Amino acid sequence: MTDARKSRGDKLSEAEAIERAKQGDAEAFETLYHLHKRRVYSLCLRMTANTAEAEDLTQEAFLQLFRKVGTFRGESAFSTWLHRMSVNVVLMHLRKKGLPVVPLEDTFDTEEESAKKEPGAEDPRLAGSVDRLQLERAIGALPPGYRSIFVLHDVEGYEHNEIAEMVGCSIGNSKSQLHKARLKLRDLLKMSRAEKATKP
Amino acid sequence: MNCAEFQQVLPGTEKGGRSAEQELHLQSCSVCSDLVSDLDFIVREARTLQASEEPSPQVWQSIQAEIAELRSELDLIAREARALQASEEPSPAVWKSIQAEIGDWQTEMASIAAQARELQASHEPSPRVWNSLEIALREEGLIRQPQRETVPMSSRRWRLGWLVPVATAALVAFGVLLYRPTVVNQGEVAQSASPRVFHTNNQVSVKDDQELLNAVGTRSPAMRVAYENDLRDVNAYIRDAEQSAAADPNDEEVQQYLMDAYQQKNMVYQMALDRSLP
Repeated sequence: MTDARKSRGDKLSEAEAIERAKQGDAEAFETLYHLHKRRVYSLCLRMTANTAEAEDLTQEAFLQLFRKVGTFRGESAFSTWLHRMSVNVVLMHLRKKGLPVVPLEDTFDTEEESAKKEPGAEDPRLAGSVDRLQLERAIGALPPGYRSIFVLHDVEGYEHNEIAEMVGCSIGNSKSQLHKARLKLRDLLKMSRAEKATKP
Repeated sequence: MNCAEFQQVLPGTEKGGRSAEQELHLQSCSVCSDLVSDLDFIVREARTLQASEEPSPQVWQSIQAEIAELRSELDLIAREARALQASEEPSPAVWKSIQAEIGDWQTEMASIAAQARELQASHEPSPRVWNSLEIALREEGLIRQPQRETVPMSSRRWRLGWLVPVATAALVAFGVLLYRPTVVNQGEVAQSASPRVFHTNNQVSVKDDQELLNAVGTRSPAMRVAYENDLRDVNAYIRDAEQSAAADPNDEEVQQYLMDAYQQKNMVYQMALDRSLP
């Protein structure tokens, strides 16, 4: 930011910051970083469930932004454009690590887990009995493939057609895997609640 | 609908999109109802996780460091590109070579021009060609006696100008002496060969002109008429020049004009003699 602008206490609008960042203005780029860092970092953290990786990926996503902001034509919202780019950075990272982006079929439908879902078992509902921290941990405990689908749909709000395009699967597969991810998450939350209840 | 059937179609049904049969099962089955309730809870809570985390300040510091490094690399690339561009410019030796080539070319052109001028000069006709041409044109009435011209004057030439009428008279006398025997008797030849007295350098001898015309007429009567006209013109030219010279003896231009008139008459005599020779 220029001294004059600082002295007035003004802040760059996102549109101004985008245009100035296109010209290589470092201060404008910093503005964009502060506007979008939380969502990008949260996305990276949920997708990887690893703080260090999330920070690295956040850095990589914003470096991609620095390199490619000149190609942003305003055909979509800047946040949409940036977050789609961030998702691609994370998915690329997962593929490089050899982790499944698309959930493997029947990952948790083992006999042991099926027994837990025995109809008629009395279990209080999750609502009101688990906190956000438990949810975060449960999401982190999801298998990578399920976690990706779940985070993209239920956390980030992408539609199944968008997810199918990003991860390279069918829309039906995305829906199916999301449901399984939710079921898995429910089990994990119940386990977490049970562990918490047993602790003194 | 039992629980298995309900849970089988559950992934494809969103909230509010369930059939009446599914809703009926949900109301009657606590297991499936709890399941749907838990899943709805998870979805609701999941959305609160969006943008919930703050990256550490180190992330921005790392980004800044990366950007600085990237910019440094870009600057380096730009400098190398400029250096590459500069290296593609021709060296001074190339320009010197071009200059040398231009020098050689100019020398060659100058040589060709000089040769052309020499060639041009070598084909230039002698003054007699123009004299003949002028006389022929005058005979045909295509040109007239030139009027007074402005020619640069040489005082040294003017000082020798009196020699012209003398030479003219000598030539006339010589011509008459040579051809007189064919048309007149020896006595007349002797008489005509005797030196004429030019009392003044500016005086025109009508008698000499007549003798010349007679000599020409003996060989070609038609040419006699032509030469008679020429002499009339040149005599008028001389008279005009003499009058101008008398009026202003210090006018160098007039003196040159007079000298040109004498030369003109001398030329007519010369041509007549050439034509009259066998």
